[in-house]
Amino acid sequence: MDDHRQTSLGPDPDLRKEAAELGADPEMIELRAEAAASAREGRLPADQDRRDQELQADAAAAAEQKRQRRYLVKALLRSPTFMIGLIILLFWVFMAIFSTSLTQSYTAQDAMSSLKPPSAAHWFGTDDLGRDVFARMMAGARTVLVIAPLATALALLWGSIIGLVAGFWRGLTDDIIMRGIDVLLALPIIITSILILSLFGKGTAIIILTIGILFTPVVSRTVRAAVIGEREREYVLAARLRGERSSFVMAREILPNIMQPIIVEGTVRLGYAVFTAATLAFLGFGLAPPSPDWGLTIATQRVFLQIAPWTVLFPALALASLVVAINLITDGLGRTFSK
Amino acid sequence: MLRLIGRRLLLMIPTLILVSILIFALAEVFVPGSVGRSILGPYVTEEQVQLLNERLGADRPIVVRYLSWAGGFVTGDWGDSALLKVPVRPLVMEAFWHSLLLAGFALVLIVPASIALGVFAGLRRDSVLDRTITVSSLSMTVIPEFVSGVVLLYVFAVWLKWLPVTALPPDGSPFYTRLYYLILPAIPLMFLELGYIARMARVGTVQVLSMPYIRTAVLKGLPRSRVVFGHVLRNAMVPTVTVIGSQVGWLLGGLVVVEKLFNYPGIGRLMVEAALAHDIPLLEASVLLVAVVYMIANLIADIVVALLNPRIRMGG
Repeated sequence: MDDHRQTSLGPDPDLRKEAAELGADPEMIELRAEAAASAREGRLPADQDRRDQELQADAAAAAEQKRQRRYLVKALLRSPTFMIGLIILLFWVFMAIFSTSLTQSYTAQDAMSSLKPPSAAHWFGTDDLGRDVFARMMAGARTVLVIAPLATALALLWGSIIGLVAGFWRGLTDDIIMRGIDVLLALPIIITSILILSLFGKGTAIIILTIGILFTPVVSRTVRAAVIGEREREYVLAARLRGERSSFVMAREILPNIMQPIIVEGTVRLGYAVFTAATLAFLGFGLAPPSPDWGLTIATQRVFLQIAPWTVLFPALALASLVVAINLITDGLGRTFSK
Repeated sequence: MLRLIGRRLLLMIPTLILVSILIFALAEVFVPGSVGRSILGPYVTEEQVQLLNERLGADRPIVVRYLSWAGGFVTGDWGDSALLKVPVRPLVMEAFWHSLLLAGFALVLIVPASIALGVFAGLRRDSVLDRTITVSSLSMTVIPEFVSGVVLLYVFAVWLKWLPVTALPPDGSPFYTRLYYLILPAIPLMFLELGYIARMARVGTVQVLSMPYIRTAVLKGLPRSRVVFGHVLRNAMVPTVTVIGSQVGWLLGGLVVVEKLFNYPGIGRLMVEAALAHDIPLLEASVLLVAVVYMIANLIADIVVALLNPRIRMGG
């Protein structure tokens, strides 16, 4: 089915029949097609009334959308899981940005007070080099909160594009893309990233790119499924009947209507991006010491678990609270959207 | 049924070839410099590098090298470790059996625990208990296994001293002692899977409970336990088994982390060591083996699903 690629002026008769079969309102389709055609030709449509009517309908739809969005925000603010998650997440975001100017130095070493238990001077004790565990715990939020959101954003961007193209065009393009995705998913993500990072070297940018690439297949599957659910709807047909380009239909018609599943997928991926980034740091493929990164700290300090457990348990607690917070946000969003 | 298995096995071959090309390409094409240079380091002459390249066959065209590598893998010649100068296969296989024991033990714990939790939550749908089970088991799933691992190590090995700190018993210990040492490493792996499998079991239970035949079973006076064990459990198993198969990848990834945390000599730790030391033959062989195991695990999950669901079995 390739007819939607045609960009000729008049609506395609086959497509019109298809629209009628799907129960689209034929008058509305004619109206939109006419309006689009005349807009393209740069003249006013013959029937000014009809155009006004259409504009009014558009305005009503926009108002309805706004109302729905307000309702969603209100529902989210009332969801306890969402709010608890959001508060914890915002706390870590705040600490990632400002902690270095609020706490003691997280790099200052003090050989005299190595592995000291929590005290008034060092709330959460000190590590093997006499550094303040509390300051390092707060500063450790930074690396993971830089890597995970950026990697998620990349995965959402690429995944949305691939999912839109595969789901909208279907056919051979879809088959090739989905086969490629199967191959990428044939290996566990941690193992593929170890393979990539051991060959291309470490560094924040490479970690972000790797996680972004490896999360793309899953996002594109979700987006593709959502696009397939939308592509036969009336408004997509109407846009195609107007003779809009495929890229316009995908980006301006379908995309706004599948934002909810994309947002939920985004928060799920964000949680896993934190998980993956921390795991890679723990395995030794992330940043190098003296970075206060949580995964790295747990890996380097775990030998002191028996004599100075605070060096390990506090960063572990921090990491756990962040992933659980993101999970709570996902849960709240999913519940609110599905209502 | 046999046709289903045969077809799936045939489908595995092209995917496996593509995966092996991917691994080989990543390992050999994108690495800057030649194989010989990466082994000998920067302080030898170009001639010596050439000599080693010739001896290793690294000067041959890329396609020939891929075919000889892939052929070697199939026939059991997996090459020599670049770092340890010993054949790769015994090294990888020994680590593999260690991992299999740990993963198998973890699966034995995961499946009944998560199904019980999921069915329990599903039977009391939307209650406080249901919400608690769902949210806490999902939270367990998203917490990285090394985080839950260190906390468990601290609580059970350091503080309460109920379980050993190490994962490997002294040499010559009987089998049950080995399992006793594996309890602590297996629990983080269990947490990793718990949320998903419990969620699927819950969804399966909720769906089955809404079926007319359950109402029939209840109305004809079957005791609740018979309804749950005879009808609900069997049918809730189908989505559960499916998701267990799809979670094997996470389990393999989890092994990498848990083995490093507990210093357990499995294939995950071997892979990390090979990757950090740039031991390409060792890395390639272990990753490819994991890919094969992963696909076989998915196949087994499909077969079990088919066995549980007669409609797929007949249609296949």
